[in-house]
Amino acid sequence: MTPRLNLFTARAASALRQSTTPALASRSIASPARFRAIQPIQCRWNSSRDGSKKVEPQPDEQTFPTSDQLPDVSEEANEISRIMDKEKRCDGVPSTPELDQGTPVEEILSRDKQAMKHMPKVMQDELKKSGTRSFSTSARSRIPEIESSVPGPEGASAEATAALADMIRQAQSPLVEENLDLKFDEPILPQNIKTLSYRQRYDTLQEQFTKQMMVDGKLTKAQKNMEFILEHLRTSSPPQINPKRPLLDAPPASQMPLDPVNYLAVVVDSVAPLFRIRQQKGIAGGGAAVQIPTPLNLRQRRRAAIRWIIDGSAKRRDSTFSHRVAAEVVAVAEGRSSVWDKRDQQHKIGISGRANLSTPMRR
Amino acid sequence: MAPGERRALKKRIVLSNPNALEIEGMVDLSAETMVDSRLRGTVLGLPMPMIDQLRAVEAFKPKQGWSIFRRPGTVLRRDTIEMGRLVEQISGEGDKPQKGKVAKKIINGMKGSGKSVHLLQAMAMAFLKKWVVITVPDARELVCANTAYTAVEGTKPLQYIQPNAVSALLKRTVEANRELLAELKVSQNHPSLPMLQPGSTLEELAKLGFADPAISWAVFQAFWAELTASAPAAGLEKGFVPRPPMLVTVDGLAHWMTESEYRDADYNKIHAHDLYFVKHFLSLLKEGDSLKNGGLLLYATSLSNNPNPLALSIALDRLTAHQAGISASSPEYPNPAAYSGADERVLELLKPAEKAISPVELQTLEGITRDEARGFYEYFALSGLLRDSITDQWVGQRWSLSGGGIIGELEKLGRRFRAASA
Repeated sequence: MTPRLNLFTARAASALRQSTTPALASRSIASPARFRAIQPIQCRWNSSRDGSKKVEPQPDEQTFPTSDQLPDVSEEANEISRIMDKEKRCDGVPSTPELDQGTPVEEILSRDKQAMKHMPKVMQDELKKSGTRSFSTSARSRIPEIESSVPGPEGASAEATAALADMIRQAQSPLVEENLDLKFDEPILPQNIKTLSYRQRYDTLQEQFTKQMMVDGKLTKAQKNMEFILEHLRTSSPPQINPKRPLLDAPPASQMPLDPVNYLAVVVDSVAPLFRIRQQKGIAGGGAAVQIPTPLNLRQRRRAAIRWIIDGSAKRRDSTFSHRVAAEVVAVAEGRSSVWDKRDQQHKIGISGRANLSTPMRR
Repeated sequence: MAPGERRALKKRIVLSNPNALEIEGMVDLSAETMVDSRLRGTVLGLPMPMIDQLRAVEAFKPKQGWSIFRRPGTVLRRDTIEMGRLVEQISGEGDKPQKGKVAKKIINGMKGSGKSVHLLQAMAMAFLKKWVVITVPDARELVCANTAYTAVEGTKPLQYIQPNAVSALLKRTVEANRELLAELKVSQNHPSLPMLQPGSTLEELAKLGFADPAISWAVFQAFWAELTASAPAAGLEKGFVPRPPMLVTVDGLAHWMTESEYRDADYNKIHAHDLYFVKHFLSLLKEGDSLKNGGLLLYATSLSNNPNPLALSIALDRLTAHQAGISASSPEYPNPAAYSGADERVLELLKPAEKAISPVELQTLEGITRDEARGFYEYFALSGLLRDSITDQWVGQRWSLSGGGIIGELEKLGRRFRAASA
């Protein structure tokens, strides 16, 4: 949409929404007369405040005998800078950027709760969207609650405690959805009910990993192994993350064992290669193959990583297959595994092979 | 794989997961909380000092899901509170004290309905009330022909002793009840044990049994006589302390209701009731006041590896009918089909008595209620293992899926790794 309003995340947007109204109010208390004088000049397509009508003072804008006091130092400075910079231009016409460029509709809506409720669905969706790009290079979508971080001792613990407190609050309070518009709960569409459908019972990555471990079509055996692996991740001590091998989008290390499926996903996605190397013969001539990096989609990337992890586990000395794979997953999380070297090697070849991408395909 | 490693892995019991969150304000099981109906549906932690005792009597089973929580805890369900009241009563406390009462119960119920954990809760309560706890954690071990047996000369039909099993029983009883047994002095004459020092404690008496399995059965008999003694023998009055009530639990009763895997000299199968060890514990069900100082007998059936003897199911049906007021002459009274070959010894043993002093009762464990299930799942959520919002609807779905609150199934649904719901 318009470049002026940068909605980083849904939460950022909500913060903006909350902060605008009191700011407006305080400013209007400081200089109510001037504020109202400007109002008619601004052309606002606002549903509640029509420029032509006389503006009624809002309840929190009303002046009382005791409220008429001098603003504090910072408020005063703020007002002065506003007057000097924005309102007085060289031609002496009081001006705001809004006057020049027009007000983006989101900004208007953000000040107006009532209008926001009724705004088009497209805009509502836009508000809900997170992330800065319309596309993502990340293998996994971001976890909304727990932001990724390079594990630092203070930062991680503060975040961990915040996440913990959040989780405990969630568990303790019964779910009260503040849904003022709907009389009943929003219906869940059948395709979104995952738990009860046996085809969608497991997480996508968990299912993919399980089926990669399957031998001779013995899915139940593979599922048992997967259960052991996840149980191991849940009960073994949290991984000691190597700062040179950070995991992508990982929650704090102390949190990871509590969500073993996510733990596994973080590990797999962190070592997933971005492309494979295709050996193209007959381009260079003389029978030599040319290495051409070919991009992989998400599922293919994960597949490569899972294969590497399972292959890497074969060298371990633990007694059973599931023990070996579980230990390898932890080794990857801690940056000890040879899988990381494999991935680096792949990327190195890919980078050097970029030159070959322009090679015309043979007809 | 090294020898024994696989078995060790299979039998390993893990009671703590340091990754799980510590639950603030978690209430422990205590003499007050075990009868508090306001706490119904909450998960009460087992007191930490008691864990070693419970481990000693093998109260925890490998397949139970203790390993994912910070510390072991059990749901206070309706049956638990009722049992708590019973334990209080037998101890001579509470509203209607009945000191010296003997309650005999056979615990039945569906697979995963919490029979073994019910026994565990009974043990925990007994330890809290300073009872003597004697357990047979797996009845199968005594009849699967894995432990040594010797015939007793001159018995008809020939009876058998399992010296090593008795020795193991003495060992775990002493380990779990050490403090209590160290205070009780020998008060009866035991001519079969000439090596017993006069004035020794029951702990020392039992220790004779684990040093030498050959005399372990004689030691066990002496030990039992001491525990059920209501008054000292002549000349041994000094330092006599009244004996505490006893809790006796057996898990997997069905294995004792059929022929064992042992063979006699003619290579015929030995009936489980011809093993002295088994016979002793089964006879407690039969007699009037089998525990002289009062106590509780809890014999649970098990549906894992169940031999499912016909006679036992008929006997349990008869107990149910008896409790429902159906008389033995009624046509609705369960009887074995002709030529079915139901074991008469079993039917005779568990025959519902008309006017027994303390008759055997059948207690069937059902599923827990939705409110109790909710408390159970909140324990999961507070431990950080479950990331869903626990709503009534959510709990209701699991409650229905678990066959009406069968707690083992609820636990499986709670710990399973699944895609996020909805």
